[in-house]
Amino acid sequence: MSRSELSVSRWLEAHTDRGAGLTTLPRNAILTDIVGNGDYHLVITDLKLDNDTKSRLKVYKGTLMTHDQALSNTPNSVISFYADLNEPRIPVVGVACGSELFLYKNLKPFYKCKVPSCPLSEQESELWKTLMEKQDFNSEDIIKELKKIPFSLLSSRSQHILNLESPLKIEEYIRKYINSMPTKENVITCMSTIEKTTHDKYSVNCPIIGTEFGNIYILDPQNFSILHQANTCNVKATPFIIECSGLYDIEFRIIVACREGYICILRKGWLEGKSLIQITNDIVDMVLIPGDNFITVATADKGLHCYTKRGQKLWSATTTNSITCLCLVPLDHINMYMVAVGMKNGLIHLYHGRHLTDFTVAPDTPSVIVFGPVGQEENVMVIVTMGGTISFKILKRTADFSNRNHESVPVLQGKPLPLPKRSKLFLEQSLRERQSAVEIHQTFQQDLLRLRLTTARALVQNLSDQSGVGNEKENIKLSAQVLGLGPKFTVILTLENINPNKVLTGLSVTFHSNPIFYTLTTYIITVPLIPPSLSYKMETRVQETMSETSSETSVAELEPAGVKVIRVFVTRYDHPRPILAATINMPPTEFMV
Amino acid sequence: MGLFQKLVSFLGVGRKEVNVLVVGLNNSGKSTVVNNFKSDDDKVTDIVPTVGFSVERFQKQNLAFTAFDMSGHGRYRDLWEHYYKDCHGIIFVIDSSDRLRLVVVKEELDLLLQHPDICQKKIPILFFANKMDCKEALSSVKIAAALGLDKIMDKPWHISASNALTGEGLQEGVEWLTQQIRELLSVKN
Ligand SMILES: Nc1nc2c(ncn2[C@@H]2O[C@H](COP(=O)(O)OP(=O)(O)O)[C@@H](O)[C@H]2O)c(=O)[nH]1
Ligand SMILES: [Mg+2]
Repeated sequence: MSRSELSVSRWLEAHTDRGAGLTTLPRNAILTDIVGNGDYHLVITDLKLDNDTKSRLKVYKGTLMTHDQALSNTPNSVISFYADLNEPRIPVVGVACGSELFLYKNLKPFYKCKVPSCPLSEQESELWKTLMEKQDFNSEDIIKELKKIPFSLLSSRSQHILNLESPLKIEEYIRKYINSMPTKENVITCMSTIEKTTHDKYSVNCPIIGTEFGNIYILDPQNFSILHQANTCNVKATPFIIECSGLYDIEFRIIVACREGYICILRKGWLEGKSLIQITNDIVDMVLIPGDNFITVATADKGLHCYTKRGQKLWSATTTNSITCLCLVPLDHINMYMVAVGMKNGLIHLYHGRHLTDFTVAPDTPSVIVFGPVGQEENVMVIVTMGGTISFKILKRTADFSNRNHESVPVLQGKPLPLPKRSKLFLEQSLRERQSAVEIHQTFQQDLLRLRLTTARALVQNLSDQSGVGNEKENIKLSAQVLGLGPKFTVILTLENINPNKVLTGLSVTFHSNPIFYTLTTYIITVPLIPPSLSYKMETRVQETMSETSSETSVAELEPAGVKVIRVFVTRYDHPRPILAATINMPPTEFMV
Repeated sequence: MGLFQKLVSFLGVGRKEVNVLVVGLNNSGKSTVVNNFKSDDDKVTDIVPTVGFSVERFQKQNLAFTAFDMSGHGRYRDLWEHYYKDCHGIIFVIDSSDRLRLVVVKEELDLLLQHPDICQKKIPILFFANKMDCKEALSSVKIAAALGLDKIMDKPWHISASNALTGEGLQEGVEWLTQQIRELLSVKN
């Protein structure tokens, strides 16, 4: 793409707030019609990673933050969906914190559901049971026992004990919790939603939850009970991005990106997902392109890869900077899907398929990009950067993404030429040609002869035309003009050099006339050099001699048609043969009475 | 005959008609503004988003106005330019509380001012900084600055803050527009 093409941006810079101080991650920002009046708001989490301050849930109406509330735990992702068909249609906002999902309507929390905790390993549960019974223990022994069990399989309580330093603290900690069994929390790692029965803007959606231990839960949108439960994969895989297509009630595909580099698929009725793609590099982000269901994956090595829904690789591209996030950019008005690729240093590239079609810039590295309606505007890109800046960009109404460059790149080769089908008209025509071949041929010959005749006539007409005589060999053209009504005339001759390369030199023009009829001011004119493609004009005055007698006696001198003439010869210096000769038919003098 | 005149003659409107075009983004309050100018009998109580455009007529100081209330929705904004040729004045309504879309307003205004049917004409433009009652509303001065109105040299323009729900600020603006159109018409005759 050339620079000039990009110089006028397709994006309007609506608002940038460098002081917003937001810290967030992909899948933590959504655009939703929060009060159900068509005024889309931005709902975003503001992460506080130190222990003392709580993370917050913030809501922006247009460019202004209108709502800010504390969250009980570090949020992981935010979703919004229509839970029912009740009017007015107000979506539910879900925020996952730890192993809990908090649900809000009209910005008020109304429900909390917890992901079922995992069963303890046998050894660990045995250990705590005996502790509960005996109420007496030796910290050293307990540490020894716990160390036998793989650390990642322990409950967070046991993990905490192993992290404590002094035996005194350990004893204190155990005493505190000795009367209850520990639980193994299944932390939510990602969320998504899937349309239940219909595909439309306001259709009811089921929330989908992915957890640290590889479980995928599909929840009922109304009572949030588990509708379906499955494992991500047959190997250990921790989901961290979920994307889906299809309808829960009919047929669906859930695509799960895992931290271990697997991209797994889960379909209706399956209790365990299958690994579809395995990527050696770390997956940064993933989006599913609606329609084709192509899977676009960004990897940590500046790679952007696209796979079919069956996992075949379609293309790969290398970006200029490391990718930090992806965002689907659906342009409904031109029926096009693009992917915004946010990169280090704030560059955002927009890909349409494998083609880089546009770019825009953020103040610094984007940590999350969302695209969709904000307020009354339909196509808004909201970018939150690592530096905490929030910026709103609006796609121009006149933005044109029809790219001429695409045509030069052959996408599919070896495809047969798109020959048109044999139409009925074509068949009829060929039948007619076979049936009456003779007539068609004769008509054609007649027309051809007529054309030749017309051409010949036009040529004769042209040759007999006095206004322009030429000599093609010498590349000169002479034309004459007679001005006046008589008895005084002016003859203007134009000699044109039609050779575009050579000059004309050494020419002279001689007039010849019967002195009985005409007297001329000049009879011989020497022509100066005529440069290529230019013409030279000369004139001579003609006086008709008006003697009665002469007109009667010299009839013989008249041309056959009975008109008086002046002849013009163009000669080359010291050549006896004129290179051009012409006859000027003089008009008869109009006598005024 | 332009589309505009066709419509006017179709509606059987007399010669003293003046045509004003009411434009602005969707939800800026155009239909509410126009509704306010109509006589009490014609007023509607419920204003629904305009699809395409609607034609409204009202009287002001012996001038019979035909207002073309254009839909401001993105996909209908292409329609505006078809009415530029035959209009005597433009009312541009801005939602002064919609800070996000001020750039869109500027973009649309620039497109309007650059249009061949507008850029040569000395056509008066009245801006309503509407919804001034909203608490996030920007002042008309700030809006004029954001839109770069001071750069419009060849056309008379005027901005008034308004509240189309109560009618506040509308009279002042329309009086200015009427005066401008009257002057233009008298120069022509
Ligand atoms: N607060 C307030 N609301 C207004 C004002 N003018 C219009 N509205 C509201 O804005 C909404 C859109 O108005 P409408 O006339 O349909 O806008 P249009 O799309 O430009 O024709 C309606 O709900 C109006 O009630 C105003 O001055 N103040
Ligand atoms: Mg309207």
